[in-house]
Amino acid sequence: MRFRVHAPAVLVGASVLVAVITAVVSNRLFGGMTSAVEEGQFTLMRAILDDAVRNAQGKALARAEMIAALPSVREVFAARDRERLLADLGELFKIQKERYGVDQCQFHVAPATSFLRLHDPEHHSDDLTPFRPMVVQAQRDKTAHRGFAIARSGPAIFGVVPVLDPAGQFTGTLDVGIDFGPLLDGLKAAYGVELALYIEEKPLRDFAKGVSGEILTEQNRVGKYIRFHSTNAALMKELTLDRDLAAIADGPYTREVFGAPWGVLLMPLQNGAGDNIGIVAAARDFSGSRAATGRAKVWQGLLALFTIAFSTGVTLVVVRGLLLAPLAALTARFAALAKGEDPGPMPDEGLGEELQELAAQYEALRVRAGSSAS
Amino acid sequence: MRYAVALLAAIVLLCLAIARADGDPEPRGAGNPPALPMGGGLPLIVRVGVAFADVAGVDENEGAFDATVDVRLLWRDATLSYPASEVPNGFRELRTEAAQERLAEIWSPDIVLDNLVGEPTQETAGLRLYPDGRVELMRRVSGRFSTPFDVTRFPFDRQWLAVGVASRREPLDRVFLDFRQGELDFSRASSRIDLDGWDVGMVELRRSALAGWYGQDHARLEAALSIERHPSAVIPSIFVPLFASLLIPLLAIWMNKVEDGEYKIEAFELTNVVIGGLFAVIALNFTVNSEYQALARGDNTVVRLFALNYSALAVSLLVNVFLFRFNLARRWLGPYVQDVLFSFIIWAVPLLSFSTAASFLLVAMA
Repeated sequence: MRFRVHAPAVLVGASVLVAVITAVVSNRLFGGMTSAVEEGQFTLMRAILDDAVRNAQGKALARAEMIAALPSVREVFAARDRERLLADLGELFKIQKERYGVDQCQFHVAPATSFLRLHDPEHHSDDLTPFRPMVVQAQRDKTAHRGFAIARSGPAIFGVVPVLDPAGQFTGTLDVGIDFGPLLDGLKAAYGVELALYIEEKPLRDFAKGVSGEILTEQNRVGKYIRFHSTNAALMKELTLDRDLAAIADGPYTREVFGAPWGVLLMPLQNGAGDNIGIVAAARDFSGSRAATGRAKVWQGLLALFTIAFSTGVTLVVVRGLLLAPLAALTARFAALAKGEDPGPMPDEGLGEELQELAAQYEALRVRAGSSAS
Repeated sequence: MRYAVALLAAIVLLCLAIARADGDPEPRGAGNPPALPMGGGLPLIVRVGVAFADVAGVDENEGAFDATVDVRLLWRDATLSYPASEVPNGFRELRTEAAQERLAEIWSPDIVLDNLVGEPTQETAGLRLYPDGRVELMRRVSGRFSTPFDVTRFPFDRQWLAVGVASRREPLDRVFLDFRQGELDFSRASSRIDLDGWDVGMVELRRSALAGWYGQDHARLEAALSIERHPSAVIPSIFVPLFASLLIPLLAIWMNKVEDGEYKIEAFELTNVVIGGLFAVIALNFTVNSEYQALARGDNTVVRLFALNYSALAVSLLVNVFLFRFNLARRWLGPYVQDVLFSFIIWAVPLLSFSTAASFLLVAMA
């Protein structure tokens, strides 16, 4: 073992190890904080979506309850007078649609047959059983329900309530549907979250006969889903691929698109029967947290390098400058002395107290050797 | 009888005057704007979309860009509805003077592009009136728009070319600027935009509010086009000289050598190199600040690299003065420590200087 090489190497190695461990640990800690921030973002997105959907369901149900409680509605619906019902409620529905995002309003009779669609009066008397389980349930339970469904006019957030006749007997049900589009657009405007609604293509084609053909196109197809609405189609197309929608159980994920990292949360939509009918995707730009992590890594690396360089410098100065180099000079003189040469006196400059004692011994030997030679 | 008729006539006139006063508190005269359509309730929702038809240039020094934008405003005024059978193509369309004349007759939102600098170089308007009362006003405006530039991450930065659309006359509780799917789809950048040194990205719409009088807020909406800088366009002109100038203080250290505990090059000569380097960095700093004034303000990669250059010069000067000229290491700790310290400085100072410089760039890239 050469002390000159191995001693500084051990000391420098120890410093490097400490600096690297410190950098890695602090990086892990910071990374954990960043992950916590991003988890918080996902939680926030989920809360925003949940709250908005619950509010929309509440609004749909409240409107349905109010309409169903009108005495004239109870009387006319009990009499199964479709024309008068349309005449009484047509203007009301028009205002609701124009101003408040109400997209659908429909009366049903047992077991689950459409009686009147205020949004589409020409189509009625069709059986809703295959695709409106919530209506079937409301007809069976004679109680209010709320949730998602794919109706003839497309997917919507529904509130279904029973309608009683003037005598208080159950006579049918009424639903009000709120469109997803304005809801998602509103969330985008308020929170800056990009959103998209994906609906399973098969039930959409089977049941939503009133949906525009512009939506059911190849460009909007993502696996078994159709992108029904999006606040930023180009972005959401890159963020939510076929495999992402298929692996919804894997939870939120992040992806870099258009030069920025995005956090994506997928929320399944289930109809009244508990069947999945679609997915709402919410995405938020994670550039801020990711850039902070990247910056922290760079600074931590640089700090570690400074620490290593400084400790290396101190080690070299102390071990080599104060100990090994003077020792080597003394050794060379001792060696020359042993060969019978006179290497001259050892200068005191740069010698510690211990080495000065050694130098004094050398000087004594040198003087003795000189006198015996003479 | 005549008095009775006169009295009756006076009463009728008085009633008519009162009725007129009650029904129309602000009679529409020549100077009064048409009334806000309130048939759909308040606030009136005006949907706003902004498309970037062209971006002629970006002036970072002035904090501005020259662009042509299409601002589309859409609202509903039920009083303007008419039978759909009157228009085979679905709407009535008016352009330029005809549109302006019609706009003078109907209510329209008093919208300003609040970051437009001076007068627009070109402005045209088109109006579409739909049978159901929807009014679509399209304005094409060419001009210079002020926008802030954040160059903290220069040269890997992304900027937002923003156009602010604000409702000037009506407060937020009467007119609300909003956007939906249609406006998001409309708000795009033309594929023909070719901005030298930049990649053109997406258009982002953001709602905000503008403080008005008496604590009232006015609706505001910002459409911002993202652009990303090509780093390759500025690296040769700024970063190569900055990294090259970092070599000057290192040369003033590298050029010296120790033999038998004595430095062979005069400190005076090496200090001259440092002083020369200082003037070179000052000159480079002046040139860069003149060319890219935005970089002279605040914290960014270039400012940090200049600070590193000055710091490296200072370190080199200290090494020259205290180590080479006054031999402080030798005086205090002996010739052996001086040798080791010099050997250490030879590699440590360049390593730390260039690592720090690289870190500044990596931080900007992060």
